[in-house]
Order: sequence, then C-alpha cells, then structure tokens
Amino acid sequence: MSVSSPRERIDWEAVERAPEFQELVTRRRRFVLPATIFFLAWYLGFVLLAGYAPDFMGESIYQGFTVGYLLALTQFVMVWVLAAWYIRKSDREFDPLREAAKAQAVRDVAGQRAEGGARFERRNDEEVHDA
Amino acid sequence: MSIPFAKVNVEAVCIFALVVGITLAITYWASKRTHSATDFWAAGRGITGAQNGFAIAGDYMSAASFLGIAGLIYLYGFDGFLYSVGFLVAFLTVLFLFAERMRNAGKYTIADVLAFRLRERPARVAAATGTLCVAAFYLIAQMVGAGALIQALVGIDYNLAIVLTGLFMLTYVVFGGMIATTWVQIIKAVMLMAGAVGLTILVLNKVGWNPVELFNRAEEQAGDGTFSLAPGALYSTPIDTVSLGLALVLGTAGLPHILMRFFTVPDAKAARGSVLWAVCLIGVFYIMTTALGFGARAFLGQGGVEAAGAGGNLAAPNLAQFLGGGAGTFGGDALLAIIAAIAFATILAVVAGLVISASGAVAHDLWSNVVRKGKDSEHEEVLVARIAALGIGIVAILIAIGGGKNLNVSFMVGLAFAVAASANFPALLLALSWPRFNTVGAVTGVFVGAFSSIFLVLISPKVWPGPDGEGGLFGFYDLANPGIISIPLGFLACWAGTMLSTEHGNERSFHELYVRSETGLGAEEAPPAPGRAREEEPVTA
Repeated sequence: MSVSSPRERIDWEAVERAPEFQELVTRRRRFVLPATIFFLAWYLGFVLLAGYAPDFMGESIYQGFTVGYLLALTQFVMVWVLAAWYIRKSDREFDPLREAAKAQAVRDVAGQRAEGGARFERRNDEEVHDA
Repeated sequence: MSIPFAKVNVEAVCIFALVVGITLAITYWASKRTHSATDFWAAGRGITGAQNGFAIAGDYMSAASFLGIAGLIYLYGFDGFLYSVGFLVAFLTVLFLFAERMRNAGKYTIADVLAFRLRERPARVAAATGTLCVAAFYLIAQMVGAGALIQALVGIDYNLAIVLTGLFMLTYVVFGGMIATTWVQIIKAVMLMAGAVGLTILVLNKVGWNPVELFNRAEEQAGDGTFSLAPGALYSTPIDTVSLGLALVLGTAGLPHILMRFFTVPDAKAARGSVLWAVCLIGVFYIMTTALGFGARAFLGQGGVEAAGAGGNLAAPNLAQFLGGGAGTFGGDALLAIIAAIAFATILAVVAGLVISASGAVAHDLWSNVVRKGKDSEHEEVLVARIAALGIGIVAILIAIGGGKNLNVSFMVGLAFAVAASANFPALLLALSWPRFNTVGAVTGVFVGAFSSIFLVLISPKVWPGPDGEGGLFGFYDLANPGIISIPLGFLACWAGTMLSTEHGNERSFHELYVRSETGLGAEEAPPAPGRAREEEPVTA
C-alpha cells in the first residue's frame, strides 16, 4: 500500500471526519489521557511524600526495607505495566482502526481519480455503519 | 597531574582500545552505507524496534546515571534514588505523547513537526534554537564529566581525555552518521547492562542473596555521614524536589537526541515497541543502581567517602575494585578497568547522539531550510551536516577544556532538562494537539521557555552563593530547579503568542498534521525491504 504518491490528493479534513478516524482518536484518548493523569499523579505524589513526609517514607516495613523504597518500586512496576498495556492496546485495538482509516483515505483518492479527478466531498457514513 | 601519563591504568587502556577498535570498525562499515540524508540522520530508517530500544537506552543513560546515581545513593541513600525514578517515569510521557506521532509526522528533526503546519523559517529557527541549547548544555556537561572521570579512572590527563573523547565522537558521527551512532549506543547499552548485572550479582552474593540484608548492612555503615534510608538527606526543600521531578518527567520528551531516534525505525509500530524495550532496560538498570549504591555503602562504609570523590562518582568503580579482591590484586584491577571502559563507552554513546542531533538542527533546519530555502541538493545537506558536526564537536571540546573542572556538571544537565521541558515540550505538544496554535505562539513559547529557564538558573543559589553560603541573587528566589516556574511560563507564552497575533490559516494544516500523526498516512517510508511490504487490510463494507 503506497500512500506517498496520492497523498497530495488526500482530503485530510474528510479523513478526519470519517468515523474510523474519530473512533481511533477517541479510543486512544480514552486510554492515554487517564493514564497520563494517573502516572503524573502517582509520580508527583511520591515526590511530594518524599518531600513532606520523610518520616513516613523512612518507616520500616521489614528491617531495612522502607515504605519509601516500596513506593519507589511501585513506580517501576507502573511504568512497565502501563507501557506494555499501551502497546497491547495499540496492536489489538488502535492499529486495526488506523488501517481502516488509511484504507478509507486511499479509496477516496482512488474514487476521485476514477471520476476524472472531480473534487467532491465523500461522506462514507452508510458504508461504514454496516462495517 | 602535569605529566599526561602519570599512573596510567594499563588494563583499562587495553580494554578501551578494544572497545574503540570495535566501534571504529563499525564506523567504517557504516560509512559505506551512508549516502543520503536519510542514511545520515535516520540510519536509512532501517533500525528495528528492539535495536532502537537498546540504542535509546544507550543514548539516554549517561555516565551521570551510571556513576553519578550510584554515587548519590552511596552518599545520601534514598534521595539518590529519586533521580532514577524520574528518569524512568519520563518515558511514559515519551510513549503516550510523542513516540508514534514523531515517527509519523517528522523526517529528521523535531523542527520538521513544527514546520509542517507553521511558517517554516521562524518555526525552524525556534526549534533549532531549542535543540541547540539542550544539546550544548548536555554535551558540555558530558565532556567535562568525561575528562574528570577518565583522568581519575585511567590516569590520563583531563585535557587529553577530553580531546580523545571528542575525536572518537566526531569520527563516529562525521563518517558513520546515525548508523554508526546507533551501533555505538547499542554496544554501550549491552556493556552497561552486563557491567551492572555483574556487579549486582557480586554484591548480592556477599549478602547471602538477601536484598533486605543489603539494606540493613548499608544502614549499619551510615556512620556520621549523610547516608539515610529515609528521604531528606539530599533534597531538603520539597518544592525544589517537585520542580526537579517535573523537569525530568516532561524534559525527556523534549530531548532532541532522544526524539530523533524515533526517525530511525521503519514505522510507528516499531517506534512504540522500541520504547517498551527501552523502559525494560532502563528500569532494570536503575533498580541495579540501588545494589551498587547500597553495596558501596555496605562494603566501603563512611571511610570510603573521600576516595569516592566529588558527588560520589567513584563509588561504583571503587566498589568494583573491592569486589574483585581489592586494590593491587589482579581481580580488583581487572574489574576496575572493566568499569572504567564501560564508563568511557557510556560517555561516547551519549555525546555522539547529542552531536548528531545538533548537526540536524544546524544543517537540516538552519542551512537547508532557512538559509537555502530547500534549494540545496541532498549531497550538500549531508556535507553541511558533517561540517556542522565537526564544528559543534570542536566548540564543545574547547569549552570543556577552557571552562575546565569549574563547570558544574549536574547544574548543566539540570539546565538541559529545564530547557527541554520549558521550550521544546510545550511547542511540540501544542503543535500536535491544538488547532489554533500558530507560528507566533511557537516562537514566543520556545524563546520564553528557554530564556526563563536559563535566567532562573543564573539567579539561583547554585550560581550565587550568598554570604552565608545560600540564597540566590535575589533573596526571595531560592529554587535550584526552575522547572516549576519555567514550564508553565513556556506554555503560557505559547498560548499568549497565539492569541495575541492575527496570524491565520494554520488550522487547515493542523488537520493534515493531525491525521498524518495519528494514522501514519504519508509518513516518511522506510526503504523497501523484503517482508516489510504490508498487506492491505480488507475492510468489510
């Protein structure tokens, strides 16, 4: 699938309005926004605790192993889990939508070419609803 | 110290020579494959996700992460570890906000993304300024650190060490471009991980494979020093700690040499995959820095503080020597030499990445697109890139030698992250997500972000020790890390510049950038390779 040649003819705003694209950005945002807020809050909360509650952070859980160190380890786990989760969601959920949006755009360009390059706006709502 | 070769560590020099020999062979091989601008800056977009993950780790983990953080943990305990956490968490910002969209929308530099929808010349000048500020501060910090470390570890004179580092760095970049840089970074990442794993195993072996026992022994050895398992030993003003944390977490997503790595992979899928590899490597490494720092505390104790030098940088090498059997034994000297060689490889990989990103800003952004307005040939662009890399490298060597050991390394690195977070990050994020954003907003944002970070650092207590040893130029301002003020200022300036100008017509190009960055339509393609052609997805309609 080569999209670099017809890209000048792609109607970007039409692709943006297409349901596949809207679905893609909505779903991606629904994951990325809460995840970003969560990791920033968890990290800054950790830093604030280290700053304002050093005694609590220095408390021992088991001998020399402290609350602060446990919370620090949760940051590492958080990074790995969120990163792996995002990659998994991308592979299974976002990429198919992305390919659908791209295929739609390429078909639109092909359609224009078939009609002698006549420019018109195509809404593919019907087509996509039963997809 | 006036004699260049006093007390040279011969074993270390031999291992250095081996590392340098391998990397130079790779550079020769890479130079045969570097013809086009895409080869030079983006390694022909032929790096796989896993390779790029190792290269990102190699590009990111500087000698400051390796020796610096192990040293801080040795000296201050828990607070030293706070740094590591911020450095790792930062990659979530990179993954969620930029990795794929950079690959989809850019070509060689972060300026490509801004220039796509804004007026090209001012946008490129702004982005190149941001890139060059970050690269300059970071590069000089690395060079000064390299000189001091190599002098201490190998016994080569400070100035000679900087010149050697600079020469190898320039050889990789000028002749081998991004292909050589990438492989130097991959080799370094493998060496660094192997070294850290080896030392961690030796440390754990000494405490009966019980990590908690390591914590206990470290605490017993705290002595009358600053070491503590509780926070507060290093960062005593919480607001400053938060400010530093913000700059680390957002600044990484504005580091040009890290973002540039995403242009070297074939597509966005490989770009996001490379971040997963990178966070696994970097995360495991930073957890191991605890073993090194606590190990140094447990076995070297408070008595080792003086030998660990400024910032505890030599704690890890001294620990390696101890674990190998102590000074003067074969095992001790061999381990010390290996750690010294790893530190050297670490520095080379980071400075090469910085120089190639700076060369992109000078040659691709400023020369090709601003001075020559895109009328130069690709041959000229690559030639200018090589000349630019050479010039940047020589200037960095001269500043590192001229400024000498008086330049405070951690302050320069802090400045690099502050500028990246306050100047580059807001402009990139808004260009990709705010339809109304325009050229005036980007230019004011980048300049206000950069200047406010630099200004706030210049008036900070680190630069102006008052009569009582603390307090900045102005008594009321005592933050050492400017992020908490300069990052909001950068965003505010982007917003104000956009709203106050009458510039129009950017919303149309926003739609194109938005669609392209989210889907990869029209993205720079990797050269055709067998098996890379994707089958068209059948869409049921």
